[in-house]
Amino acid sequence: MNYFVKGNPDLCIGCRTCMIGCVVAHEGKHIFEIDPDSYTFNPKLHMVKTAKLSVPVQCKHCENPACMAVCPVGAISRKGNAVVIDTDKCMGCKSCMDACPFGAINMVPVAGSSQADGSEKVVANKCDLCSGIPSGPACVRVCPTAALTLVTEEELDSAMEKKRQEAARTAYREMYPQK
Amino acid sequence: MSMGIPEIEDAGCLLCFGYNGADSHPIVARRIVRGRQKGMKIICADPRVTETARISDIHLQLKGGSNLALVNAMANVIWTEGLADTQFIEEHTKGYDEFLKVIEKYTPEYAEPITHIPAEEIRKAARMYATTKPAMILYGMGVCQFTQAVDVVKGLANLALMTGNFGGPSMGIGPVRGQNNVQGACDMGALPNSYPGYQNVTDPAVREKFEKAWGVPLSDKVGCPITHVPHRVLHEEDESKRIHAYYIFGEDPAQSDPDLAEVREALDKCDFVVMQDIYMNKTGLYADVILPATAWGENEGVYTCADRGFQRFRKLIEPEGDLKPDWQIIAEISTAMGYPMNYKNTEEIWDELIDLCPSFKGATYEKIEKYGCVQWPCRDKSLEDKGTPYLHKNGVFATADHKALFYGTDWHPPLELENDQYPMTLSTVREVGHYSVRTMTGNCRTLRNLEDEPGWVQMNTEDCRRMGFVKGELVKILSKRGYCITRCLPTDRVKPGATYMTYQWWIGACNELTTAKLDPISNTPEYKYCACRVEKIEDQEWAERHVMELYDDIRAQMGIDTGKGAKA
Amino acid sequence: MALKQVQTTCPYCGAGCQIMFTVDADANKIVEAVPADGRTNAGTLCLKGHYGWDYLNDPQILTKRLRKPMIRKGGKKSPLEEVSWEEAISYVAAKLTEIKEKFGPDSIMGTGSARGAGNEANYLMQKFMRACIGTNNVDHCARI
Repeated sequence: MNYFVKGNPDLCIGCRTCMIGCVVAHEGKHIFEIDPDSYTFNPKLHMVKTAKLSVPVQCKHCENPACMAVCPVGAISRKGNAVVIDTDKCMGCKSCMDACPFGAINMVPVAGSSQADGSEKVVANKCDLCSGIPSGPACVRVCPTAALTLVTEEELDSAMEKKRQEAARTAYREMYPQK
Repeated sequence: MSMGIPEIEDAGCLLCFGYNGADSHPIVARRIVRGRQKGMKIICADPRVTETARISDIHLQLKGGSNLALVNAMANVIWTEGLADTQFIEEHTKGYDEFLKVIEKYTPEYAEPITHIPAEEIRKAARMYATTKPAMILYGMGVCQFTQAVDVVKGLANLALMTGNFGGPSMGIGPVRGQNNVQGACDMGALPNSYPGYQNVTDPAVREKFEKAWGVPLSDKVGCPITHVPHRVLHEEDESKRIHAYYIFGEDPAQSDPDLAEVREALDKCDFVVMQDIYMNKTGLYADVILPATAWGENEGVYTCADRGFQRFRKLIEPEGDLKPDWQIIAEISTAMGYPMNYKNTEEIWDELIDLCPSFKGATYEKIEKYGCVQWPCRDKSLEDKGTPYLHKNGVFATADHKALFYGTDWHPPLELENDQYPMTLSTVREVGHYSVRTMTGNCRTLRNLEDEPGWVQMNTEDCRRMGFVKGELVKILSKRGYCITRCLPTDRVKPGATYMTYQWWIGACNELTTAKLDPISNTPEYKYCACRVEKIEDQEWAERHVMELYDDIRAQMGIDTGKGAKA
Repeated sequence: MALKQVQTTCPYCGAGCQIMFTVDADANKIVEAVPADGRTNAGTLCLKGHYGWDYLNDPQILTKRLRKPMIRKGGKKSPLEEVSWEEAISYVAAKLTEIKEKFGPDSIMGTGSARGAGNEANYLMQKFMRACIGTNNVDHCARI
């Protein structure tokens, strides 16, 4: 089963440390030494703030990804426990953006790239669970309030087991309210 | 802060008043979130839906500028419903009866039309605060940056005194100081009325002690507060009191102070302006002399954090260029003026000053090094005195008779109210990723990329719809003192009629609009309330270009080659 | 490459977080910042603590780092000219002495700094204003 990063609005303080952590993880540490206009600042998660909620929103790494199904060039695939985009293959058609029900995909320019007319290449951008980065998702690691967690298959299983037990207890109480 | 930051999460109840930790101190906000997870009750008094308001049990979304009416009404409820801690009041306080005379009229019904909070909500909040122990109050600039500020601080202290919430851990009242060493600058006597260690300049015995230590006679007159400087430059008739020279050290009044037009005029008219800093800034444009200092990371010493903790900061890298540490520059000027200052390092300075300050005396470098952090008061140099996590232990206060004084005052409205020409209000707030005037964070790549010029004005969604503004659109915001251009951010977190801007932008410079009217005691400006209006800019393409040009112009003035053009 | 670890206090808000820096002493640059287990931050940092240190290498983004003492020799609005420390110090000392003699000590105002400079520099600044200049005209931005 794919993993995903889950945000908890009860813990999130909307500070966006996760968004910078994401960029640093994907661009590499040299970004602290280069011209800040020479790379593109493209976090793969997005802070959402409404009157009642603050929480980052990012790709759910669906088991049957709508984005993967609609991609005409096969740029979206499963890799390990994540759904990832091959930005070399991506032609920027926005079908995946349109298909994703969570708004987890956006289109971003690739710094330093250039097309036939001289304009920058624009590709789809979304969470890849920091695949290939040994310390795991950067957003989870840097969040100061532990509002983000990486949900793995094992954790989902144990959480479901707990819920089932709670459901069983509730059912028992409903049947035998006196006990 | 009377309590320590780690204690916050163990309070039974938190009254968070005009304090938005998520933007000003995320790592303090973390303690609030953790407290919530442990079952702490939260009452949040703020005109905006802050992150704390979002997770609170009761959000008192008061009208800006009505703080004291709300605080007095909460005191009124605690008194009339018999929730006060009479034993604590009797044993540890004075002036309760006089205080009751002031708050008598502040029934929740009286406060409702002023605060726009239903009377029953005020009652619920007062009950929750008074009956959940231990109860803690944290407050921030939403209390201090009004012309009625000190009265509200005292009003909050009254609530803590009435309910016996002093003298133990996780209680009391905490102003969460903004900048890394604002507590330290106060501790060190960078104040017109006190020597280091909060020892009053008008106290003859104290003055004699410092005269003996420093070997010169000292002035017994309270000095000029920073916020009086423009007036004292521009309008003071007495030549001996007019400010003719201004030695500005690590500050940027031409960006951070209210009513910038007046500040610029004062800096321009002041005969001699010295700026000592690490980066070129707006004030530098008016300086006659610029003295380049080493920055954090290139020097060492001690900071005091918001909860009175002395901690060491250390050198990470060697400075490049012809720089000197701040203390050395000051010592050299003093020596050149005939008052020699000879110190080999910061520890020598520290040793001199702690011996002059009874509350700091025990906090030696060795001890700070050993324990990592020492919270003052720390009076004894022996390693057993590890400092003081919370103040007023067992209800003993730092007054002559060890009793705390109740102090009641009447509410008054802010000084510049909404009117026909300027029908909305402006309050300044903080941008979480930028610090102060942003000469540091604005020069950090990722922080600059997260938020850049010209910043945002937060406005109620309904107001935006009515005025035809969409998210990101450039708008013009004006007060009777000035105007600036910024981007519109529609949000349901602010009330209709109110606007909020952060103060560190050059183009979206909200201090062009703010008023320099001051609290009579603290001399803090009313940054949290002035009248304004927001106007649509029809030609958005022009506005985008204009912002970009302005940005490039100012950066060029700051010595940056802007050939590539700025991100705007 | 000689890497060393140095723990220090964050220069931003008043929370007093502890950060562990990895520094390349040969290249004189910071390699990495990670949260340290300080009393107030307990192994956590916000975005400024994590990513607020690269201003130190003068990236030429917003404003130029000051590297040399400078004086406007032609008065206000004239260009700033680089000078030696000796010249800058004696110029400031002479101007302040002149103003003090002409208008008295209360005609001079000084500020402390609530930011990077630290407690020792603030102590010296107020001592300078009080003992050398002879005024209590010293304050800082706590009010603003």
